[in-house]
Amino acid sequence: MKTNNPQLIGQSIPRIDGPHKVTGRAIYTDDLKLPGMLYGKLLRSPYAHARIKRIDVSKARALPGVKDVIIGADTPQIKYGNWRLVPESQDELPLAVDKVRFIGDEVAAVAAIDPETAERACELIEVEYEELPAVFSVEDACAEGAPLVHDISKGNVSLVRKISYGDLEGMFQKADYVREDTFRVHAVQHAYLEPCASLAEPDEGGRITLWTSTQTPYLVQCLLASTLGIPENHVRVMKVMVGGGFGGKMELRPWEFCAAFMARRTGKPVKFTLTRVDELAFGRRRHGMTLYSKVGLSKDGKLLAKDFQVMLDGGAYNAMGPTATFLCGTFGNMAYRLPAYRYFGRHVYTNKPPASAMRGFGAPQAYFAMESQLNQAALDLGIDPIDLRIINAMEEGDVIPEVATVSSCGFKQCLEKVRAASGWDEKRKNKKPGHGLGISAFSFISGGVFNWFNTKYNFSSVEVRVYDDGTAHLFSMACDIGQGTDTVLRQILAADLGIGIDKVRLTSMDTSNTPKADLGSWGSRVTLMNGNAILDACRKIKDMLIPVMFTQFDLNQIQDIAFEDDHLFVRSNPKKRLSFAECVYKALRGRRGEPLSAHGFYTPRNRGLVSPAFSFGAQVAEVSVDEQTGLVKVDNIYTAHDCGVTINKRAVEGQLEGAIQMGLGYALHEQFAMQGGRTLNTSFLDYKMPTAQDMPPSVSLEVETYEPEGPFGAKEAGEGLAIPTAASVGHAVYEATGYRCQDLPITPEKILRALGKLK
Amino acid sequence: MATSHFALHQPQSLSQALDLLEMHRASVRLLAGGTDLVPKLKVGALKVANLVSLQGVPGLGAVAFDEGQGLVIGGTARLAQVAALPEVKRLYPGLAHACSVMATTQIRNMGTVAGNLANAAPSADTAAPLLAYDARVTATNKKGSRDIPLAQFFAGPGLSVLEPGEIITAITVPPPPPKSGSAYQRLSARSQVDICAVGVAASLSLDGQGRLAHCRLACASVAPTPLRCLEAEEMLSGQAPGDDLLDRAAQAAAAAAKPIDDMRASAAYRRQMVEVLSRRVLATCLAQAASLAQAQGGAA
Repeated sequence: MKTNNPQLIGQSIPRIDGPHKVTGRAIYTDDLKLPGMLYGKLLRSPYAHARIKRIDVSKARALPGVKDVIIGADTPQIKYGNWRLVPESQDELPLAVDKVRFIGDEVAAVAAIDPETAERACELIEVEYEELPAVFSVEDACAEGAPLVHDISKGNVSLVRKISYGDLEGMFQKADYVREDTFRVHAVQHAYLEPCASLAEPDEGGRITLWTSTQTPYLVQCLLASTLGIPENHVRVMKVMVGGGFGGKMELRPWEFCAAFMARRTGKPVKFTLTRVDELAFGRRRHGMTLYSKVGLSKDGKLLAKDFQVMLDGGAYNAMGPTATFLCGTFGNMAYRLPAYRYFGRHVYTNKPPASAMRGFGAPQAYFAMESQLNQAALDLGIDPIDLRIINAMEEGDVIPEVATVSSCGFKQCLEKVRAASGWDEKRKNKKPGHGLGISAFSFISGGVFNWFNTKYNFSSVEVRVYDDGTAHLFSMACDIGQGTDTVLRQILAADLGIGIDKVRLTSMDTSNTPKADLGSWGSRVTLMNGNAILDACRKIKDMLIPVMFTQFDLNQIQDIAFEDDHLFVRSNPKKRLSFAECVYKALRGRRGEPLSAHGFYTPRNRGLVSPAFSFGAQVAEVSVDEQTGLVKVDNIYTAHDCGVTINKRAVEGQLEGAIQMGLGYALHEQFAMQGGRTLNTSFLDYKMPTAQDMPPSVSLEVETYEPEGPFGAKEAGEGLAIPTAASVGHAVYEATGYRCQDLPITPEKILRALGKLK
Repeated sequence: MATSHFALHQPQSLSQALDLLEMHRASVRLLAGGTDLVPKLKVGALKVANLVSLQGVPGLGAVAFDEGQGLVIGGTARLAQVAALPEVKRLYPGLAHACSVMATTQIRNMGTVAGNLANAAPSADTAAPLLAYDARVTATNKKGSRDIPLAQFFAGPGLSVLEPGEIITAITVPPPPPKSGSAYQRLSARSQVDICAVGVAASLSLDGQGRLAHCRLACASVAPTPLRCLEAEEMLSGQAPGDDLLDRAAQAAAAAAKPIDDMRASAAYRRQMVEVLSRRVLATCLAQAASLAQAQGGAA
């Protein structure tokens, strides 16, 4: 492993935004107020599926204080969606026209002088609906003669993804052991703490400035411009602090459009702020899925074949469902060597709130199936579950067919580390009743290679400016949504230029003042992709500074220049040195005043079709189950993971803690209580997201590898960690009770019923 | 946010508060801790023209214990305040537990015991232990005060026998008999910071012969109101404690429950958990009482 990284790499640099957030001084979109600002409210559909026969807004318009009321017919009616590469997948309109497709579908919007007036006006809008038959499950949606959610999608399937390689039938015939299982996983929500908010300000010439809580400013800019029918450059998207995204804020949203559209009509700023009820009842969710999986293994535990068929419950619109459908198939064969694999994924429309991207993006579901199935296979084959994984684990240099070559991989070390740290062997030998250990593993992508957004720009871009006071200014469209990239990107820049992190100023929130483009914060891409763009810019800045050193010290052509401790020096003779500031000063003089600035870019090339780099990891969960109440207590979580070279240890630990919290919610507590298309639990009282007080002790074990494609050898540490918990807890519960969950979440009632203990 | 407009009245004495209640009787609510009321106002689930705050009324905020009267919880005494009182921890461990695990730290610091009862939610955490302690509610109006046994206080989900114009000025809990024990246990989907899905409280004492004397068993979240399990209580009282007896009493408690299916738990699970928790709280009570009996016996 390469180890000559700068000292700043791997340090626990505290979060730059931390003090502002914990003292309440941080500014979020809803905190913004502009002179003359109007408050927006949305009128949503009360029906899961209905034709709009008539809308009368006259009473709403007549209400004093109301400045604008719009319905679908008032808008340009240009459809949008993130898959610009496949225009027919773009199935959304900001406001419904003709038909509503889920309870909560946006029908009209009001802008008024205060929120109460806007809400009152919404109540005064008369909409006459003709209710249509609706579908609420993938099975019903795919049934013969089912009502169509979108007329163009026959059988309600909006997208099919197929992967196939190897001799599937031959391998199944060769297999000594074959098992088939069907898993059902449920929808859960991101539950970011900041509900969505957007503020649009009209500018000269019909231009728009939009402050919005987003994780993809560039995507919002492009799609808002296209839906308004104005040039891309007429939309400026800014973000202030964002209180979490987790995949739920990576699209253009109706309230962004409505704020901008009404701002242009009224000439006044318009702000929308969603409530928690809006978020829980109508917001994006993780896909519920039905996953059929058939695996074949040899009797000595070698995986030979897998047939994987998945139906994604997409809800009423595509949203990020096509990508989840695509990735779910990729995750079905990412961690293990598999000679033959077939995937058939279908994205199915139902009359429910749309599902979309959520931390893991198809992986928590695919791995829950895979890992649960492997644990059952291990038991049947009489092989230790960790050994079974080691037998099949990917290694450095392995090829994932049609995907990539794995250029760094610490998977086996992860498995060995969790085995040792958790006391796996001893505890399994001395089993205690009601107590169990479970294992699960994962692999994840460090950003996507795919370009379904069809950007003509680089995937990540930055500009670096350096000044003769020894400071640098980084301009990046990368989006800190709470995951800490504002800190980590500064760290990467400071490390490479050898200056203190306090010398780096960052502008990262403005599509008009940062270089084009950055695809946003999703797919665990920012550290690798934006980090690489920074290194590209730094290389160019160094090319401006190194000549100063050569001139100053009349250096031999073979000399190398080091950048450390706010200085440049000759590596073989550190006494020959200039301060960074002085060097910039001299370079500036030499350029006759032309500022030192460089753009840096990164787009993955020749890295397969999915991702430039892959993370790996394994997790052991230790649980106790109360056999009378069925309540599961998680006693400890041991996680070993390979995220390449860690840039910021504390940030990675934070990601792991948060991932465990989300993973436990998914495994044990969180679910939507649905009555047809209606969501019943619309507050945190009944949407059971675990709290800080529910967090079990946890142990984090790092396996460092050096990823040649990553900045300083780094890979992702954002989403992969959120994958393994449902399967590791599920396995532990099985070991403790004999109940094997194939139908998340694992609830006390399911455990007791399976054990025949609930009358 | 559909906050409606209302007038906030801040009386400085009980009689002023009672006058204000009378004066605005057409549309008035009392404000104590506000932890149930304010969220309802915020989402528009409750519209009311007048709020009468009890925060400034002197003498309502105390929690005090004396051996004659027992525990007296003032009408605006906070949950956290009750949980923190040493005598509550020592003599009323079931109530102390309820007041220290329900809701969240912030809500326990603001919310009041009287409010928890007056709100009359079937899931009210303080209700089950207070029922098990034979608590009485003192309701005061302009004409005077009346004492209502808590067992007769609840009338349905969100409903109590309080009359318009009445204020809960105190909750009185008799001193525990000698050689007694009490406990409360609750279940919820999350382990912490959650509403109760099933709760069971019990209290009992032992007589000179080691037989069960004073037995109370009460449940929350398993019926339209917090519930006393009279049949189980009768089954226990006067009997020599034994595993079989506790089992049967727990079964009787489960039979008395009238749970519903909702998104927090199924009726079948709730009913069964009444049995499990009843058995557990009874065992805890018995262990406490036995250890006191031993200590007191030794002292005598």
